[in-house]
Formats: sequence, structure tokens, C-alpha cells
Amino acid sequence: MSLDLVVRDLVVKAREGRELLSVERLDIPAGSRIGIRGPSGAGKSTLLFAIAGLLRPSSGTVAWGDQRISEMSPGDRARFRRENVGLVFQDFLLFEELSALGNAAIAARYASRSSRRAIIAAAGAGLERLGLKKLGGRRVESFSGGERQRVAMARALANDPGIILADEPTASLDRTSADRLIEDLSALSGGSGRTLIAVSHDAALHARMDRVIDVVDGRPLV
Amino acid sequence: MVPEFWNEFWYGLPVTVQDAIWFALLLLPATLVGIVVVWSYRPFSLVSAMIWRYRWTNALFVVLIAISVGLGVGLIAQERGIRKGTARAAEKFDLVVTAPGSEVQMMLATVYLQPVDVPLLDGRTYDAIAANENVALAAPIAYGDSFGDSSVIGTTAAFVTHLAGDLADGRMFAGLDEAVVGARAGLDLGASFTPAHGVGDAAEEDVHESVSLTVVGRMAATGSPWDRAILVPVESVWKVHGLPLGHAPGREGQIGPPFDPAYFPGTPAILVRADQLWANYALRSEFTTERTMAFFPGAVLSQLHGLLGDVRQVMSVMAVVTQVLVTAGVLAGLAVLIRLYARRLALLRALGAPDRFVFSVVWTYAATLIGTGAVAGIAVGLAAVGVISGIVTARTDILVEATLGWPEFDLVAGFVSITVLMALLPAFVALSRDVITDLRS
Repeated sequence: MSLDLVVRDLVVKAREGRELLSVERLDIPAGSRIGIRGPSGAGKSTLLFAIAGLLRPSSGTVAWGDQRISEMSPGDRARFRRENVGLVFQDFLLFEELSALGNAAIAARYASRSSRRAIIAAAGAGLERLGLKKLGGRRVESFSGGERQRVAMARALANDPGIILADEPTASLDRTSADRLIEDLSALSGGSGRTLIAVSHDAALHARMDRVIDVVDGRPLV
Repeated sequence: MVPEFWNEFWYGLPVTVQDAIWFALLLLPATLVGIVVVWSYRPFSLVSAMIWRYRWTNALFVVLIAISVGLGVGLIAQERGIRKGTARAAEKFDLVVTAPGSEVQMMLATVYLQPVDVPLLDGRTYDAIAANENVALAAPIAYGDSFGDSSVIGTTAAFVTHLAGDLADGRMFAGLDEAVVGARAGLDLGASFTPAHGVGDAAEEDVHESVSLTVVGRMAATGSPWDRAILVPVESVWKVHGLPLGHAPGREGQIGPPFDPAYFPGTPAILVRADQLWANYALRSEFTTERTMAFFPGAVLSQLHGLLGDVRQVMSVMAVVTQVLVTAGVLAGLAVLIRLYARRLALLRALGAPDRFVFSVVWTYAATLIGTGAVAGIAVGLAAVGVISGIVTARTDILVEATLGWPEFDLVAGFVSITVLMALLPAFVALSRDVITDLRS
């Protein structure tokens, strides 16, 4: 289920009180493909983590549809991510000793009994769609960077999320692998109703987005 | 107050069942915690992957736990093995009569062949003992000479049979120049030797140089210092020392009882065996006089073990303290090891894994290392006990057969339960870490 993102008066501060992010108003309609760019340290990833519910803001609200994740308990935010969000990271963050399918279906290990089969099936289908069907049983430690990132994408899709959040997904890839990943990201979000928000320095990725938001000094220029 | 029916039920159970129940109860906390923590999740393959990721570090951690547990287990098992071994070595010595002195010293001399200079019992005393209607065996134990590291003991053929049963090889001594050796004595059948006067460094080898004794038989193993001894007719010892041979003129060729009190030169100790158990007590009472001391080596040993019970308790406390220290070390180690996995755990939490799942992963990881280390520790303990028992047996000739028993398994079960309960702490700590900091680390 895709949801509109509404951010109001969001402020995230570091422990010592320094302001890391300030967003007066940000609206992202469901199904949009949004790129976020800006210089290093500008607050791009902090914005992504805030809208993923990975951090509790100092003030303001972050709401996906009618769910105000900024006011949820950590457990409820985790449940929200589990049910609605797929995450892709710059350096893949895979369990090297597990197979591609084991990584893609990792959510099955903590899902309810009733949904385990569906997650494993979705992970398998995701690997197939991303061209990794034959490698599903192999440990990812022998995979190339591009293959690893596609496994990470299959993992992000295994719970059929309405939202995909990607943090520098192409930064650790060569150009060819990066282009293929951008293709995959676009194909898996565009037309599917999924919202895609990707933090990146990659102009090729931004070219495939509906909209690109610049972040400067902790403030998105919207 | 325990209800009577419960006592009847409990003490009606076979001992092995009681032990097994205790063991299960000690493991129960770990089992219950495990069930509660892992319930409805499947963390095992993830935990296997985590362990494999840093396999050498984890293996080292398991080895450290195994060695610590093995030392604790080995310590307790060894102490029990030594206690049993010393008791077994004394069990053939029902009642010993000596000149008055220290019972412990006389027991060490008579049972464990640690000779001391003691006054001799005279022929009148021996005769009174041997003539007692309740006495089945009265054997002089005349020590003081040696050959190499073997004590040469003068006694009777009946004592040899009483001590070790039928000979394993050869025949019983039948003349003054014949000997029967213990199972581990370094003399073959047919070998001749000259006994030295005294024992150990103080032995004078040339005092009896005109004497030559020949080995004619070998005893079966007894698991005691007597396995290294050389047993000769007591008359042979007297003859070697230029003393009367215990028999009246005209009977000088006789070997063994009866002895003539007038020609009985003396003996440091007499082993007495009565037909009936109660008679032993009567004999002890009868021969506890101004001139003689009668004692049960088993009882003296028991007192000694009782006194050493404090030492045993200290050893047990040391074993427990060691385990507590190990537990603390395990926790500290786990805290460090879990930092290795901080990013992966943060990933799980970022993906939306419930805290309880992450908790179960960390706890299962810790419990797996602890459990594996504990099981390996039993193996280490078993190996250590085998090696140390062999060394103690070789050095003392007291057969120490230390094996692992329920007390050791209980120690391990207690250790596992306590440590896996304590492992909840690092699991809680893992949840308190900042997800984003760990993701970016």
C-alpha cells in the first residue's frame, strides 16, 4: 500500500543540540519517484532516516498517510517499516554467510508464521526479476557488487512495500552495475504505485526520478 | 517443613533418577529462558552465519570457556578419585595393631608403605592376637628394607593371599630366600636381588650384601602401593637382620605361623582380620592398651578425609569461584563480540525486525557459544582427569580412577544456567545501541 508523505516543521538535533535537519514543509504524493541530492554532510541521509522512522525527531511530524511515525514508539515504528518500507543501503549490508535467497527473505525469520511463505516466495520472485534466480542458493560472499545490491533490492521488495528508501544505492557500484540498478529501481517503482525516495549523488539516477530535492545545510529546498 | 509424603516419594526414587532430576532442575532455568526467548522466531541459521563470520574469534572464545569449565570439572572429579583410590587401597586392612603412637603415621606406614621408625611389637603380643578365637588372620607386617623404589616387607603367605588373592604369576614364597613381588615391581620372576637396609635416600645398600633373594611369584594388581612392594617371609627379614627366626630350635626351617613368642624378634605392625565384623571392634578394644595401639585404617582415613573435607570445600568453592570469574569473563567477552555484529544487528532493526527477534539472535548466539564451550569443557575435564589420574597413580601407586559423575555435570549445568541467564544482559545492551550510529559504523 503506497502512502502520501507529509512532513511538517521537522527538526532533528544531534545529542549535543546542534541542528542537523530542519524541514518546514515537505509533501510527497504516493507513487512518486524522488531523488535527494546535496553536498556531503548536508543532511540527506538524516532526512531519509527521519522519514524511515529510524530516528525520533526533536520536534515536528512525519506522517505516511494517516500514520504519524514521528509520534510512534520504537516498536510501532519498526512494525511500520516491516510492513511498509523497503530499505536499500550504499554498501548493501548483507549477511555474507547466507545465500542470496536467505538474505532476500530475511524478514521471514521474524515474520509471523502465516506470512513466512509469502515472504520467501516474494523474495524468490524478486531475485528472479532481478536476474539472480540461478544464484539464489549461493552465498553472497562470492557475489559482485552489482549482484549484491540486487540481492539487497530483492530483500527490500520481499515484504511488498509501498515505500522504497534508498541511501546512495549506486555509490559502491561501477557505472555498468549502477546503470543496471537504476533501471531496476525505476522498473520496480514506476507504474507500481510504490513511492521511491533515493538519496544519491548519481546524476543518472536523478534523471529517472520524477523530482529531485536539493538539501543544503540541513534544509531541503522545496 | 517438607511434607512426609514428599520425603517418602523422593527417597523412594533410585539415586540415579534423583541425580538426573537435580541435573534437569539445574538446567531448567537455561531451558526455560531459551524457550521464552526463541519462541516463534527462527534465529538459528542467522546465528550460525554470525558465528561462521568470525569463526576463529568465536572458536577461541569457546576454547577459553571449555578450558575454564574443564578445570573446574577436573578439580572436583580428581579430588573424588583420589579419595576413592586411597580408600580402596586401605580396604584390605581391617584392623592394624602397632606400638602406641600416631594412628595416621602408622596407617601411612602400614597401608601406604611410608616407613617410619617405630617400636616393635613383641612375640607375646603377637601370640595373644593370633591366639584370639575371633582372629582369622594375624599377619606381621615387617618393613624397613628396600630394593630400588620397592619396599621389602616381611609377612606371611596368608597375608599375600588376603591382600591380592591368587598370584598372577609363579608361586608363593616357600623358603627364606624367596620373594613374591607386586604387580608393578620392577623385578621379573627368577630375578635375584639384595635388599638394602632402610628406604629411600637413607637406604644402606651394602649392609645385607651377603643376602640374595629370588623372585618366585607375582601378585595380581591391588591398586595400592603394595603393587610396587616385594613381599618375603617375615622370617627372611629377621634372618637378614641377624635375629631369631620366630620358631623354636629345631623348627628353624619353618615358614609362617605359628610363631614361638620366645623366639619372635618383633614386628612394627600386625594386620588383624576377624571372622565377624563385630569381633573387629572387640579386638580393637582388647588391643588398645598401654603397650599396643589397635586402629581401623579405614576409620583413620575417614577422619583424615573428614579433616580434608574443609580442603574439599575450599576446592569446591574455588571451582565455583572459578566459574563465577569465567562467567564474568564470558559476559565481558560477549559484550566485545557483540560489538563485532553491531552493524548487522542495526540492519535487522532498520529493516523492522522486532526488538524481541534481535534480542533472541543475540541471546541465542551467546547461549550457543556458552553451551558449546560447556560441552567441550566436559570433554576437556575428562581428558584432564585421565592425564592427572595417570600421573597421580604413577607417582603414588594408588590407583586413581577419576571419572566424571553427577557433581561435575551439575556444576556444568549450573554454570550454563547462570551464564545464559546473565547473557540476557548483553542482549539488552545490544538493543540499547543507536541504530543509525551502528549502521554508519
